[in-house]
Amino acid sequence: MHISFLMHHAYGAGETVRATFALAGALAERHDVEIVSVLRHRAAPALDLGPRVALRHLVDLREHAPAADRTDPAHARPSRVFPAAEPGSGPYSELTDRRIAQYLRRTAADVVVGTRPGLTVHVARQTRRGPLRAGQEPLCLAAHGRELRLALRGAYPRLDALITGTEADARAYRRGMRLPGVRIAAVPRAVPAPRLAPADGSGRWVVAAGRLVRERRFDVLVRAFAAVAAERPDWRLRIYGSGPERAALRELIGQLGLYNHVFLMGPARPLEPEWAKGALAVDPAGPEATGTALAGALRCGLPAVATDCPYAAGETVEDGVTGRLVPPGDPAALAAALLALTGDGAARRRMGAAARAAAAARFDPAEVAGRHADLFAALLARRRGSGLRASLHHARGALIGGGYATKYATGLAVRAAVRGVRTV
Amino acid sequence: MPVDLKADCIADSAGGLTFDLDVPRGHGTTWSAALVLRLRAGAGETVAAGPADDEVRLPLGPNGPGRLRAVLPSTVALAEGRWHAYADLGDGADPRRLLPGVNDLRSLVDRRPLAGIGRLGVRIPYATQRGNLALRSWLRGPHAEAGDILVAPGGITVTGRLYGAGPAAGAQAEARSRQAGQEPVTVPLAVEGPDFRFTLPCAELAARWRRGSEPWDLWLRPGAGAPPVRIARLLDDVPDKEQVFSYPAVPVPAAGGELRVGPYYTLDNDLAVRVSGPLGAE
Repeated sequence: MHISFLMHHAYGAGETVRATFALAGALAERHDVEIVSVLRHRAAPALDLGPRVALRHLVDLREHAPAADRTDPAHARPSRVFPAAEPGSGPYSELTDRRIAQYLRRTAADVVVGTRPGLTVHVARQTRRGPLRAGQEPLCLAAHGRELRLALRGAYPRLDALITGTEADARAYRRGMRLPGVRIAAVPRAVPAPRLAPADGSGRWVVAAGRLVRERRFDVLVRAFAAVAAERPDWRLRIYGSGPERAALRELIGQLGLYNHVFLMGPARPLEPEWAKGALAVDPAGPEATGTALAGALRCGLPAVATDCPYAAGETVEDGVTGRLVPPGDPAALAAALLALTGDGAARRRMGAAARAAAAARFDPAEVAGRHADLFAALLARRRGSGLRASLHHARGALIGGGYATKYATGLAVRAAVRGVRTV
Repeated sequence: MPVDLKADCIADSAGGLTFDLDVPRGHGTTWSAALVLRLRAGAGETVAAGPADDEVRLPLGPNGPGRLRAVLPSTVALAEGRWHAYADLGDGADPRRLLPGVNDLRSLVDRRPLAGIGRLGVRIPYATQRGNLALRSWLRGPHAEAGDILVAPGGITVTGRLYGAGPAAGAQAEARSRQAGQEPVTVPLAVEGPDFRFTLPCAELAARWRRGSEPWDLWLRPGAGAPPVRIARLLDDVPDKEQVFSYPAVPVPAAGGELRVGPYYTLDNDLAVRVSGPLGAE
């Protein structure tokens, strides 16, 4: 198969880039894989892509770029395809519309994959007839606002496959969006094997990581840790990450007298070396949090205490096997689980080994790539086998989508008319 | 277009570092390849050591297919300061700045060398603000390592451990003002083996306050007449302590309003206490 990933900015160092590079690299063992980066800000990618995957860009925003994309007037006009409600919509323009459309019209790929909602809208709307149209959900449906959901409802019925990170999110899409004929499958994000020896668990450090924002509930963790520090003063906590809650957390640590036990470490990238220093990982996320960094901790051989939240660590940690799950927002429950595991070296070793094995089976790029390849192959075979049925499905999807799309497009047309331009 | 060169770095508990990097495509290995460390002179400071001591070349030898390795043993002394890391591939081109790869510093985290060690070398790899690989280096003997610090209304209690000197009769801690004309404030040291503890009374520092924000550096005198030893926190994997090890300040009533007295780590990770004036009057 020839698989093409459409990315926002493959030259950066974010988590999506890390996961997509890992997946693309593993797929490239057996398939032709290319990454098409809409934007380019840097000469070389910040992360290693490996020699097998082809990388190209569509719009060059480097300061001394050979192309004059930065100053192209079309780049100053807003995009008509990329939903404005998508948080990443900032750099999208008429120029990106044109270049992405060109790429999707001419692509020789069998499968085109959008790696964030806005790009999946492009893939759904603009890919030429032939290739499978797929989208990856990097967060979850619950993280998207009403306006973005409306835009996705307009476009996603034209997809062949939508890939979510968790089963809970796949259920949410099946329940909350009408996507007939679209195969909705949960496949975890690829997390490569750590490039260092696993944690030996000999230390007395609890490690947490994430953006310091309210919904991640690090305040609950700090309160819970007061009980741990009181009972086991040789255990300490490191919290990695930055964000708007930093000052409030610092204040709380001071108030509780935990400044010799709880440390705000600032951001760390990559995180693996920091997990490897720990004996126990923890994610106190609240119910509205999305995503978790715990998969990396498990791959490093750390057992984890996490809150049982469907879009955070709920499916990452298996209660009693690879760690402990506790209800969100409950410092006492979190403290009890931390005390149980900090007091039981044998359980930590057993769960740490189980965590490493389970995370390798679930998140290893080879495994994740195999599941993607199987999904794509099955969809391609189904399409070839019953071309008529598939095209019917498509027509129906397009019709249903069309209804929503009309609503969405009307708004666009009005805005476009005001600007005096023709809509697509 | 030159490809980024990244070095993975592994620390051992004795203070040695191992650097591993991929051979760039299109490069062979040459006998003259080296990892080059250059001491960076900070703003306004001059490098005290002779010119020969501000560059260290470590042979970069093959380590399995496509990999190169250089070793900085704990026995090679590096002057205190910030060292930038370069790779000289032996191809006649200028040494190229290295980027950090994976830094495995777990053996530094709770580092506890033998207290009898004469001179303590500490090197912590880190990424500079521009994302390049650098080392922070300290070379101290004797050394007073700060541990837990308790900030209470009565005073600031510092616990720690002394390396390379045995505390003797008359051992004391000293707070020295950076302002001219201030006598040091001294307090006795409680000692148990190499471990020490002292409490600095906040009121005494507050009584000497004149204006603005006044820092006091903390020193330790192992015995009567012994040369003073700077108190610092060096024995872990955190290159810049100030943001991570952050302490509350104690309010102390004074004539002009409320003063605040609190400990902090300097840019060199030395321990100091700041006395600052009433809010708004700084």
